[in-house]
Formats: sequence, structure tokens, C-alpha cells
Amino acid sequence: MDLPIPNPEAAGTAAASPIILALPKGRILSELGPVLARAGIVPAADYTDEDSRRLRFETSDPGLDVVRVRPFDVATFVAHGAAQIGICGADVLMEFDYPEIYAPLDLGIGRCRISVAEPAATAGQDEPSRWSRIAVASKYPNVAGRHYAARGIQAEVVHLNGAMELAPSLGLARVIVDLVQTGSTLKANGLIETEVIAHVTSRLIVNRTALKTMPERIGAWIARFRAALG
Amino acid sequence: MTDDAPNPALLPAGLMDLLPPEAEREAALVETLMAAFAGHGYERVKPPLLEFEDSLLAGSGAAVAEQTFRLMDPVSQRMMGLRADTTPQVARIAATRLGQQARPLRLCYAGQVLRVRGTQLAPERQLPQAGIELIGSDAAEADAEVALVAAEALARAGVPAVSLDITLPTMAPTLLEAAGVPPVLRQRLARALDRKDAAAVGELAAQAGPLAAALPPLLAAAGPADGALAALAAADLPPAARAIADNAAAVLAAIRAREPGLRLTLDPVEFRGFRYHVGVAFTLYGPGATGELARGGRYVSANDEPATGMSLYPDAVLRAARPAPARPRLFLPLGTPPAAAAALRDGGFATVAALGPGDSPAALRCTHVLRDGAATPFSKDDV
Repeated sequence: MDLPIPNPEAAGTAAASPIILALPKGRILSELGPVLARAGIVPAADYTDEDSRRLRFETSDPGLDVVRVRPFDVATFVAHGAAQIGICGADVLMEFDYPEIYAPLDLGIGRCRISVAEPAATAGQDEPSRWSRIAVASKYPNVAGRHYAARGIQAEVVHLNGAMELAPSLGLARVIVDLVQTGSTLKANGLIETEVIAHVTSRLIVNRTALKTMPERIGAWIARFRAALG
Repeated sequence: MTDDAPNPALLPAGLMDLLPPEAEREAALVETLMAAFAGHGYERVKPPLLEFEDSLLAGSGAAVAEQTFRLMDPVSQRMMGLRADTTPQVARIAATRLGQQARPLRLCYAGQVLRVRGTQLAPERQLPQAGIELIGSDAAEADAEVALVAAEALARAGVPAVSLDITLPTMAPTLLEAAGVPPVLRQRLARALDRKDAAAVGELAAQAGPLAAALPPLLAAAGPADGALAALAAADLPPAARAIADNAAAVLAAIRAREPGLRLTLDPVEFRGFRYHVGVAFTLYGPGATGELARGGRYVSANDEPATGMSLYPDAVLRAARPAPARPRLFLPLGTPPAAAAALRDGGFATVAALGPGDSPAALRCTHVLRDGAATPFSKDDV
């Protein structure tokens, strides 16, 4: 949206081009398999092969293509309308509150939680109501900032993309805000979960413009996913 | 020292230069839109870029308060705002300087607006805006008129098949109010409605009691207008919500009566992004993936006057419009008689006069040259 140039492709025959479904790599890819199968979506054979260099896959349905991107990028692709539908965790939607995204369906997979964790040695040693600021390591700067702001505490977020669990022991931050599934990574690094910010499941997300301008096609896909959950 | 001098081409975030031919195309587009508005009796007003913030942020302006650049007027010692939306200015004009004029008042405007922050999706901080306001009528016909005038202006600007989405931003709050939903549950329901999370809406509406039972079918009804209207007619609505539904049906009927071919969708329980709208709200979407081109709807103008209007975004329209053919550029060699050049300009050419023997049609990007007194198409290969 940066240049005022005409975009003949965007204005083209949207009815003919396939709908793009953005799916997250990694954690929930395997849990997603059965859901896709029940929705009648069979992606090309190399889709589940994490080594495949291909990023866009055709499916058994000629009206649907699948792209495989990082979980955070699913929301970005859908918000910009590059993909019309997608699947991503509620954690991503909490972090990026895009007005262009609807989240019509809770798929109930990829269950985990966003939590605060801190070293077992310091947990509970201090009175948080006396804090005015706290150093937090997280890949969710907005979630962490909002969580502490609601308690009247300024969060100084060190934005990391992984290995959050190292941050407290190496003096980078006092606490971390991260996704917790089983808690074993925390335990292995001497951290304990002190607060659950939110429970997270994967959502089907939809681009607003796509739903408004193609209500029949997009609505049919939402219905197929809903039926696949039943 | 490692800090380099800043590159003079760099502009502050969200601001840009429009170059040829886009700058001219945008200006021509705005005039096309304004001509369409004028054709329907909308008279042009030109409010200033800056005004005192208390008038700028009154009424519908409150919705853009946090997007408004402010500066202090050293003369009056009062705070001024740079407009982030033109509607509040037109509302002020209608209530004050045009307060004595008979209603309904039809006004239109075109100009630039500034906002403090762009978004990742729309990074621009300076945007062109062109729009119409119809002040002093609460008829469904008025809502239909502004939507259709905007659609017609888009068609004239070369955007063929637009689709009009109608929302009823007051429907969901009215239903929740009538059902007496407790605040905590109401907040969760509003959030679920906002996401269009049908399962959560169903579950929470069941908890909220029988009057909220209309919500799940209305959420499911969003889509082509006829189906959504049927769902609204079938729903068991409290009187206040029924009035909103009847008004929506009247507006839709008025639109259909004038323009049966327009593609219409209706979303009864959406309230996202329409913070100051009190009746029907409209969004015009361009064909394919070109997105939102105009937005508007019913609001309360200054002095509590009923009003309705539409704002068009010429930058988005330009991306969706079929490019108009560029004006041909005709090279005038040294010594061309001025009268001959004037005649060619009247014939639609932009004439580019040679100022010295070194000027050539190729270097000056001309499409035509003068051969035997007549304009002849020129390409670089001809030389």
C-alpha cells in the first residue's frame, strides 16, 4: 500500500483466483493435519516435509492454495489480504491486534498458555505492588507491556525471538513472558510459572475485506472448518 | 565520526512526494469525484487545514482526537489541531456560518488530512479525502442518496464494480442493553461479536438470557443483503432493535429502488471501526482485492442535527481505477507559430516547446512530433 500505482492484478478476476490459506510452520503443523483432512483439504505431498523449499502448495481443491509461513507472519499475511484465511494461535492475535482480522473459529488445537515465569530462587521473594518497573524478556512486547501496565508497572521489554528462558539467569531480565505448553523447558532452566496471562488455542482467521467482498466463498470455508471440528 | 549526513530524499515516516504522472492523475481523480458530487447538488466548502482543537475534536471529531497533530497558536495562545478528518469541520460550518440556510444542506469537500500515526497496513500519515455530507434530514432516502452518489462518483472515476457493505453499529449494543446483560458478560460478548466467533457468541448469548438469543442468528446472517434482511425480519427483536432493523430495511429498499444492480451486503451486528455512527454505516469496496475505497454513514452533527455522509479515499481509488490514458505530449520545434501551438493544445495535446537547438523529442519524452504542420506519433526508433 506504499505507492499510488494502479494494481491491475488486485482489480482482476478475484472470482477465478484460488483462495490462499496461510498455515503456521512448526509447533501445530502436526496437530493441524487431521483438521485439514476432515475439512477435505489435502495439500501437495511435500507440504508436511519441513525440508521442502517450496512455500506455496496447491491442494486437492483447485479453489484453494496453501502457504506455509512463520506463526507470527500468518496474521500479517491475512491482515494485508495476501492470504484470505489463515490459522494461528490466539497469542499472535493478542500481540498484533489487527482491525482487518476476524477470528471466527476456535479450532481447539495447539493448546498452551502465555505465562509469566521467573527464577525459582526469586519467585515470591518480593512484593510486586511496590514495583514501578520491571525488565521482561519476551517475544510478545505488546502482551507483556499491557499485562504490567494494567498493574501500574512499566515493563521494559527485551524483545527476544527465542531462548527466553536464558534471560533471567544471564541477567538480561527479571522475568519472562512466553508460551508454556508442558512447562518442561522452564523447569530445565530453573524457572517457575508464576502467573497465567491467557490460555491459548489456534484460531481460524479471516481477512475482513475478503469476507465482505466474497461472503459466499469465504463463508463456505468457515463452514467446512466448523464441520471438521464437530 | 561515523554519522553520515541525512539523505535529502528522506521524508518523515508516512509522507511522500507524488511525481508525474501520479500527481496529475490524483488531482484529476479528485476533480472527477467532486464533479459527480456537484452534479447531485452538493456544494463545495473549503475549511482551513488548522483550527482550534475544541471545535475540531467536537462530536464526530472525538473519534480521531488521538490521531490529531496539535500545535499552539502563538497569536491566541489557544491549542489548534491539524485536521485528521474533514467531517467535524463541515459539521461546524453547517451549524454556524450556514446555520440559517434551509435544510437539508448538501455540502462536499476535498482536501488533505494528517494523522499522527499510520498503521502497518496503511502507513500514510497524509491522506487525500473527498466527501459529501447531507445535514438536516433523518430520512432513509438521505442515507441511500449519499451511498449512491459515492458509488456513482467511483464509477465515473473508472472503478467499475463496487460492492456496498452496510453495517448497523448500534444493533449489537442495543440488543445487549435491552437484554440487560451484566457488564462482564457484555464485554466478552462484544469481543466475540467483534471477532465473529460464532461458537463463543452462541455460548455467551445462551448465558445472557432469552433476549440475547437473537445475536447468533444475526451474526450468521452477515452476507448478501437479501439473506441478512430476511434473518433480521425473522429475528425476535426488542422494540429499539426492531426500529434499527426497520430503518435498515428502508435504506436498503431506497437503494434498490434507485440502483437495482449494485452489489449489497449487510452485516447486522458489526460495530468495528464505526465509533460515531448512530444509524446505518457504509463501506464501499472496490473490485477484487483493491479493498476499502469509501466509508460513511449516519451520525449526529453539531447542534444534534441528523446527518449522513461519505468519505472517499482518492489514493485507494487511484489504485483501483482503470488508468486513464495519459495526455499526449507534442514536441514543438523552434519557431513553431504560437497560433498553431494554441490550436494543438485545444486539440488535447500538451505542447512541449523546444527552447534551443539541443532539445529533442526523445529527451523530453514526447509522444508526437510536428510533421508538415500535423501532429504525428513519434517513437524513439523513428529518428
